[in-house]
Amino acid sequence: MSSDQLAQYLFTGLTQGSLYALIALGFAITYTVTGIINFAQGEFVMLGGMFSYYILDNTSLPIAAVFLISVIAVSLVGVLLELLAIRPARNSPVVSLIIITIGASILIRGMVGEYISKDAVPIPSFTGDGKFSVLGAVVTYQSLWVIGIALVSVVGFYLLLSRTMIGKALRACSINKRTASLMGINASNMSTLSFLISAALGAIGGIVIAPLAFTQVTIGVSLGLRGFVAAAIGGFTNIPLIVAGALGLGILEQLGGATLSAYKDAIALGALLVVLIIRAGWLQTATGSE
Amino acid sequence: MAGKLFKWQYLIIALIAAGLILLPFSGDIYYTSIMVIIAIYSMLTIGLCLLMGYTGQISLGHAAFYGTGAFISAITTAKYGWSPWLAMPVAAISTAAIAYFIGLPIFRLRGNYLAMGTLGMGIIIWVLFNELDQFTGGPSGLPGVPGLSIGGFAFDTDFRYYYLVWGVCAVMLIISYNIIHSRSGRALRAIHGSEAASEAVGINVSQFKIQVFVLSAVFASIAGSLYVHYLAYVSPSPFDFMFSIKLVVMAVIGGLANIWGAVFGAGAVVMIDQHLGTFGELDTILFGLILILVMIFMSHGLIPGIGDLYEKWRTRRAKAQDALSSK
Amino acid sequence: MKDYILSLRNLRKAFGGVVAVADVSLDIEANKIVAVIGPNGAGKTTLFNLITGYYVPTRGEIWFQNKLINSVSAPKRVEMGIARTFQHILLFSHMTVLENVMTGRHSRSHAGFIEAALRLPRFHREEESITLEATRYLNLVGLGQYARQEALSMPYGQQKLIAIARALASEPKLLLLDEPGAGLNTMEKKDLSDLLHRIKELGITVVLVEHDMDMVMKVAEWVIVLDVGRKLAEGTAAQIQRDEKVIAAYLGEDDL
Repeated sequence: MSSDQLAQYLFTGLTQGSLYALIALGFAITYTVTGIINFAQGEFVMLGGMFSYYILDNTSLPIAAVFLISVIAVSLVGVLLELLAIRPARNSPVVSLIIITIGASILIRGMVGEYISKDAVPIPSFTGDGKFSVLGAVVTYQSLWVIGIALVSVVGFYLLLSRTMIGKALRACSINKRTASLMGINASNMSTLSFLISAALGAIGGIVIAPLAFTQVTIGVSLGLRGFVAAAIGGFTNIPLIVAGALGLGILEQLGGATLSAYKDAIALGALLVVLIIRAGWLQTATGSE
Repeated sequence: MAGKLFKWQYLIIALIAAGLILLPFSGDIYYTSIMVIIAIYSMLTIGLCLLMGYTGQISLGHAAFYGTGAFISAITTAKYGWSPWLAMPVAAISTAAIAYFIGLPIFRLRGNYLAMGTLGMGIIIWVLFNELDQFTGGPSGLPGVPGLSIGGFAFDTDFRYYYLVWGVCAVMLIISYNIIHSRSGRALRAIHGSEAASEAVGINVSQFKIQVFVLSAVFASIAGSLYVHYLAYVSPSPFDFMFSIKLVVMAVIGGLANIWGAVFGAGAVVMIDQHLGTFGELDTILFGLILILVMIFMSHGLIPGIGDLYEKWRTRRAKAQDALSSK
Repeated sequence: MKDYILSLRNLRKAFGGVVAVADVSLDIEANKIVAVIGPNGAGKTTLFNLITGYYVPTRGEIWFQNKLINSVSAPKRVEMGIARTFQHILLFSHMTVLENVMTGRHSRSHAGFIEAALRLPRFHREEESITLEATRYLNLVGLGQYARQEALSMPYGQQKLIAIARALASEPKLLLLDEPGAGLNTMEKKDLSDLLHRIKELGITVVLVEHDMDMVMKVAEWVIVLDVGRKLAEGTAAQIQRDEKVIAAYLGEDDL
């Protein structure tokens, strides 16, 4: 592999990894606040792209407005998901909740496929298709948008959690819900808020990446999977580790894809399983039990 | 009331059984062939019900074992001229081994992690089906899979295949029923109730989970073999993630811990697919709604759900009568 | 050397930074009723979890009938003769009372999936035996007539007895009871004390975690006191009541 190619893989991996980081943080916030893995997380990403396409296709609004409207719309979908599908089943066993979020994800996919489009649809780059070369890698303006917006979002997310009252409330819920509510925090609202945030993060990711890779109703599953791997690497709680894991996964995929092209999916998943099993094994020896 | 049937359900099963036995004589090719598919899907769902309903585990990659059974049968018979009756048990044993070696590490995971693990497993295996094209024929598949026959008697009509697959399905139902009503069945139910308490009575929890996983994989493999000999063709596309989800929908509709419901669930999904499949994505939307609503309101599935409602109505009526008579 | 059925040597269990059990050594004589007492958080349930194999010790040794069982799996320990009940009872849902006790026979039966699936003769023989034995133990705790009731629909106190029957069904030599008297009224506690004596007559060693000092005084032949994961004192119930360290540890509690 030449150094040019290496640089390219690194850079593309970084771009993809930024997307994965957003998805992963979405998983992290819902899991830590509600204890639920939202299998529909990937669909928020897909919705971001698809809503944007729909708005662009039917109006002549500028991309910034489309971005904003799409993120808000998807955030609302996240809120609806929590209120209508998750909250009624709050005390059900884990298996039930998993099935519910799976049901939600295929419901969302079905509706998008039916009412927007089943095909791959294009979104134009935010500031045109310009590109330049850095260390032999081709860097497009859009990929800079991806990395930039992802960076801003991750930092914003981090600041939200650590510096604001709301963030503290969210963190309190993730540590101990009962104590949090005794302190006057409305745990149900925090649940809804966590879904809102994770939907927003997913949507942001979906919109910025859409110009680089066609967006289509089917992308949610594999993207969600990769976001989950990254979140698992960080144990769902360690933000820097999650981001590092996401970027690492993006790069690993590119490098692996270079050698075993079609097995890219299998690589991400192989990584997933290895990480999960090692973590589970580590957890097991730590407590000596479950 | 895992596995227990209300008395009137016995009657319904008898009626359904009678209907099933007589159906092909109606001469309706369309419905006979649909019922062949329903039988095959039922076999898949029964295994999934045992896994999800009884041990309370989850598998989002069950289609993978359907695929391994299908491909091993197809490849050995189409490419290497094996007898299908040899290929089927070989496929089942191979699938059992694959399930065992996957199960060993994967059942160290729980809940969400387990779900993701099985999801990942399912996708990896599907990718392998697509990419190992020198064996599997890749995305375009493998034609020329021979049909089934015993001596001179060939199962080459829908009519004959119907009885074959429903016969196998009936055997699987009986085996499952026997297991549920046994020491093993109690162990499975115990695991679902409390893993800690199960361990305390000496149940080797992870061993049981893996055993049920393997059993469900064997059922799936047999279903896969029967499927390819019916179609005379195999390709990776039926064994994807969406099909694994469809299997979960079938299990959920029938009531996770209800193996008889598995047949109902398989039938319901096939019928929905048949009638709504052509209307864009309406079937997908409906499946999503079903999953959500059933898990929220009828966590025991539609069939026991209806049975539960009947019981509630009956107890309310009895209470009212008691109240009246005591005045 | 006395006949000790259970010996712990320098047993330690830490969860990250939290040390639940710190350097506990003790010996339990066979066929005695021993009480383990101590303030909340003293590590009593953790100790049980270590003995049954639910937790792996950070350090130390567990000896059962003069065999080192540190590396013996939890299900295997049941086979060897260690059984327990839980503070939260944990009866199995969707099962009758009798079926719950029948699960207790799991370690004493062997028919597997194949025998069950094909209904081989060994399956039928074992099912009969399992049902008979389970019924016997259910009768021992006096609840035989409730065999067909849904287990979780039974009153709290009776659920506790069913759990004991379930543990007894595995024919243990050592029975660990985690707060068997909690939540019981005076009458039920009296019945429980009588039951414990009957269990002792079967040759079983009983170790119970208890907070009710009256009960401990009445049934326990030996008392071990734990506090913050350490053994504070041990002796007869009378000795323990007078022990200054014990009194100090319980200061503020009403039981003594």
